[in-house]
Amino acid sequence: MEIKFKLNRKDVVIDVDPMKRLLDVLREDFHLMGSKEGCGEGECGACTVLLDNKPITSCTANAIHANGKEILTAEGISEEPEGKLLIKCFDEANAVQCGFCFPGFLVSSYSYLQNDGEKNLDKIKTALSGNICRCTGYQKIFEGVMMACDEKENGE
Amino acid sequence: MNFFNPKNLKELHSIADKIDGKYYYLAGGTDINVQIKHEMIGKDDNIIYINELSELKGIIEEEDEIILGSLTTFTQLLKSELMQKYFPILAENLQNFASPLLQTTATIGGNIANGSPTADIIPLLLVLDAKLILSGANGERTVMLNGFYTGYKKNFLAKGEIIKSIVINKNALNGANTFYKKVGARKTLTIAKVSLAAIWEMENSKIKRICLAAGSLNEYARRLPLVEQYLLNKKKTEVDLKKLEEILKQEVTPISDLRSDREYRFQVCLNLIKEIIEI
Repeated sequence: MEIKFKLNRKDVVIDVDPMKRLLDVLREDFHLMGSKEGCGEGECGACTVLLDNKPITSCTANAIHANGKEILTAEGISEEPEGKLLIKCFDEANAVQCGFCFPGFLVSSYSYLQNDGEKNLDKIKTALSGNICRCTGYQKIFEGVMMACDEKENGE
Repeated sequence: MNFFNPKNLKELHSIADKIDGKYYYLAGGTDINVQIKHEMIGKDDNIIYINELSELKGIIEEEDEIILGSLTTFTQLLKSELMQKYFPILAENLQNFASPLLQTTATIGGNIANGSPTADIIPLLLVLDAKLILSGANGERTVMLNGFYTGYKKNFLAKGEIIKSIVINKNALNGANTFYKKVGARKTLTIAKVSLAAIWEMENSKIKRICLAAGSLNEYARRLPLVEQYLLNKKKTEVDLKKLEEILKQEVTPISDLRSDREYRFQVCLNLIKEIIEI
């Protein structure tokens, strides 16, 4: 089936099984390897992408779910001003350890910065509660997002 | 898997009517894709995609009722001012269901249709006396959610039927006391070991009205009519704990699994009821 959608700000068309997992479409058909498969059941968040500006686990979505929609992956977000800000802040906070979960954390953090952005630890924890880091470096990840909220607010 | 993409409900009913084998409705995909992964849905099975059907969308306020389209997502419910206004017990607890990532696509209709014993929203909808509007080739019918399930992941949807919407009376709470607790291993992204929802009203120190519903304690989430009956018209001081425990044993049949054992589940359920009646 022909699936048309916007992928990282560009219009794309692909002829694909509509039931192919969105995660596999991104990795295999578009060679976007940022989104990772951890649990494959929607529980770890390593495959997080934005669908029409809202975070989803792409392992529980299918190609058909993207039809006519806009998908933004970690790769796309890394080109956006607020994505760049987050990457800088994560770097400064030493938030990244093994890195496997990180594209997912970047997407959820970007979504929070876009849709709320308040420097509020409880809200940030809730926004990131669908992402699991097995290196368990949560504190520094939260610090990174807090820093980004601060810098966005103060226009640095 | 055979894939069908109906444009409206009429087309959906005629497709589902003609299918010989098993078929599944695909909405947000958060349950279906896990079932495909675990090969609970086979290669010969049929998938009917419903996620874009406008007839199943929207939150509508009527004079006496709130009507939730079955495709209403948990994120939409969380943001709904109508939920906060009329059903705060629902609105306050939605945050702890699954995770923000799953809330984006998971739907209320899917949570009900999948019918997991641990489905988070069902105990709350049960105490709110929610009704379901089912749509089929021959029209619509309205049924109570209480009584919709006939067994583990079984319900009485007829062939080709689908849950169109969920209806809750605006006065379901009517200022009553409310209680909901989901007991899990962590705060978010957790599957309930036990969940209990309750609505009750007092008059002259007696329990005048009480609705109780439990999740993860039977083959499907259900009301506890025997316990309700026992507590009704009693003063809290008149409740005999031994008797309460006996009655509860008749109503819940918890299983032991990787999340917790049956003794733990039973005890926690009893403790939650004790918490409600403050003993």
